[in-house]
Amino acid sequence: MSSEARPTNVLLTGVGGQGIITAGKVMAEVALAAGWQIKKSEIHGMSQRGGSVESHVRFSKTGHVYSPLIPLGEVDLVMAFEAVEGLRAIATARPDALVLVDDRQIIPTSVTSGAFEYPQDTLKRLYASGRRVHVVSSFDLACEVGEPRAANIVMLGAASHFLDFGEEAWQEALRRIVRPKALEINLKAFAAGIAAVQGE
Amino acid sequence: MPQRMVLSGNEAIARGVWEAGVGFASGYPGTPSSEILPALKSLGDAYVEWSTNEKCALEAAAGASLAGARCLVTMKHVGLNVAADPFFTLSYTGVKGGLVLISADDPAMHSSQSEQDNRNYARAAKVLMLEPSDSQECYDFARRGLQLSEDFDTPVMLRTTTRIAHSDGIVEVGERTALDRPCEPTLDPHKYVTIPAWARERRVKVEERTGALRAFAEETDLNRIEPGDPSVGIIASGAAYQYAREVMPQASFLKLGMTWPLPPEKIRSFAAGVEKLYVVEELDLFLTDQVKALGIAVEDLPADLQIGELSPERLAAAFGDLVDPALAGRACPADADTGDAACLVGLPPRPPVLCPGCPHRGVFLTLRKLKAFVTGDIGCYTLGALPPLNSLHSCLCMGASIGEAHGIECVCGKDGKTVAVLGDSTFVHSGITGLVNIAYNGGSSVVVILDNSTTAMTGGQDHPGTGVTLSGRPGRKLDLPALCRAVGIEDVQVVNPRDLKATEEALRKALASSEPAVVIAQCPCVLVSRKRDKPYVIDEDKCIRCGLCVRIGCPAIGVRATEDPKKPQPFIDSDLCVGCALCAQTCPKAAISQTE
Repeated sequence: MSSEARPTNVLLTGVGGQGIITAGKVMAEVALAAGWQIKKSEIHGMSQRGGSVESHVRFSKTGHVYSPLIPLGEVDLVMAFEAVEGLRAIATARPDALVLVDDRQIIPTSVTSGAFEYPQDTLKRLYASGRRVHVVSSFDLACEVGEPRAANIVMLGAASHFLDFGEEAWQEALRRIVRPKALEINLKAFAAGIAAVQGE
Repeated sequence: MPQRMVLSGNEAIARGVWEAGVGFASGYPGTPSSEILPALKSLGDAYVEWSTNEKCALEAAAGASLAGARCLVTMKHVGLNVAADPFFTLSYTGVKGGLVLISADDPAMHSSQSEQDNRNYARAAKVLMLEPSDSQECYDFARRGLQLSEDFDTPVMLRTTTRIAHSDGIVEVGERTALDRPCEPTLDPHKYVTIPAWARERRVKVEERTGALRAFAEETDLNRIEPGDPSVGIIASGAAYQYAREVMPQASFLKLGMTWPLPPEKIRSFAAGVEKLYVVEELDLFLTDQVKALGIAVEDLPADLQIGELSPERLAAAFGDLVDPALAGRACPADADTGDAACLVGLPPRPPVLCPGCPHRGVFLTLRKLKAFVTGDIGCYTLGALPPLNSLHSCLCMGASIGEAHGIECVCGKDGKTVAVLGDSTFVHSGITGLVNIAYNGGSSVVVILDNSTTAMTGGQDHPGTGVTLSGRPGRKLDLPALCRAVGIEDVQVVNPRDLKATEEALRKALASSEPAVVIAQCPCVLVSRKRDKPYVIDEDKCIRCGLCVRIGCPAIGVRATEDPKKPQPFIDSDLCVGCALCAQTCPKAAISQTE
């Protein structure tokens, strides 16, 4: 998933507290180690109190990366940590984009208050958008590994399968960023993510 | 070989001043500036502090500079309003050790109460201003800013925006240069004592300095012409430069890194070499007006570009046919593609809410019950204004809650229904003077200090009320009840806001009294304490689905559809619940209990 002419654009999206910022950070470290150009930007509203969170990551092997924000419609890879946030992101993605989505539902207060309904056809709508969609149950897989908070690393593992950096490079970045105590379980989570999309 | 790191703009600023030998740094947390000082502290060597507010921070830095140290002061855009008083006069006195002031502006108000273009401050205060466009420039400009400050005897303003401060890029870093400077306050009253007679001398110096800075702006590589297609010329700075480069890579650019004072000759010569001249900028028409004032024609861009944050697609739309479609992105993909439009139908918004277990929730539930008019302030608790709490009715600026409550009572009399709420950090920042005012003028307002023992909104920084400094050392802890009594408030109560009954009693007592009263609602922020109790669970056999627990607005309480659409079944997400027990206290049927 790279092109000489334009940067590769990755959008990570979900809900505050899901580890989206950290996942973007690991991705940036991998690209730095590979000697690529990189820009990354975080968008979150009033702090991270349950609102939507986005991280834009852009990298390029040969060219310059100017804007820290991905131009609308230019996202190559969507990593959605929550189903509704995945839907929200679709309009930013290229027609040939790859979408990795955790179909986990995190109910916003606009739904509990009765003002809105949580759509039950999220995956159907995603498939209908024409993008290549893979469901990655990152939260469930992280729970299986024994660390629910490593869902972001599961998702990174899945993404790594489609990006042009070797598995070694990802593991090396995790070693630098993750606390030593939590490293082993994070490496397991990463492997679970790869396994979830292998053969795709 | 230089080391390359991925740094945010904020981290890069810290690295830059650190390498340039900064000795003193101060600030008050404010998004998007808050990460600079902790990053600098982690590098070591410099004295770094959270000050009680931006004015204190700048005044302390003025002193440190007077003694010879290189200084950094950080704040968000509205923070400079608080520090404006010393800032304008510091322009007159100048500096001894270099002084860089970071103003982090927030176009689009990601976490601010207003948009404000602080480039206007540099012009108004007549100081040199730098505007970096990415992390590498944050690093370079912060370093150079300290040197320029000393070279031109001026405070230097370094203006970032959210997109610069919170974006990461690759930075080539170096080593720290330790400055061997004696600590010696300069004895030069004509320079540093601004009595009118001496300040008038400095006034002349300020104009001379502006002339010298303008000459420097003409020659410095901070402002550079990047030649391209001469049919379109673009003048831009900051994040706007990057967006313009993204969508108009073929154009000619005058890239401005120093945006006050401006280089008139460089602008003229750039304008003369292009057919059509555009100025691309976020927020105010700051550069546009200056270019037009030189008598240079500037092509119009849509007026609505001045509202909110720029983006590549907004600029692409503004430039229309001039943009190469292959490079511009698809301007309106959702309109063009029915599959995309269907994705967006009826999506529930995800508004920010008070965290599960947030201690402020208990106060707002009680104020809602008492039907109080609540003057609010800047912090997490501003979220109390949103549904379902709906119990905060004004928010102006830091510390304003107390002043507004006092004003309401002065004209309405004490009807027992007005309450000011503000956080502990906010109270220390600029609430104390308001409280002194109430006591002094015989007011009778009720002030609730939401004391969660941190500056929660900006990420949990310490402050005088926590008694821990930025260095992690214990400092003298501010005694809030004793302080309130000392300014003249006799009725001071301390209550745990997770105890709804006690909170209601305290507020009723305070409202009933004709004397001014302070209620300190004391319970640590859940994000800082990280303390979790066993989660609660709803016994669905006992539950009558009245929805009272849902109305406390806790993100851990969800609902499931039932056969009766008006009566969904509430449930508690055990993953999110921290065991604060608020929902159990609101349940009329005792159907909510703690798991074993």
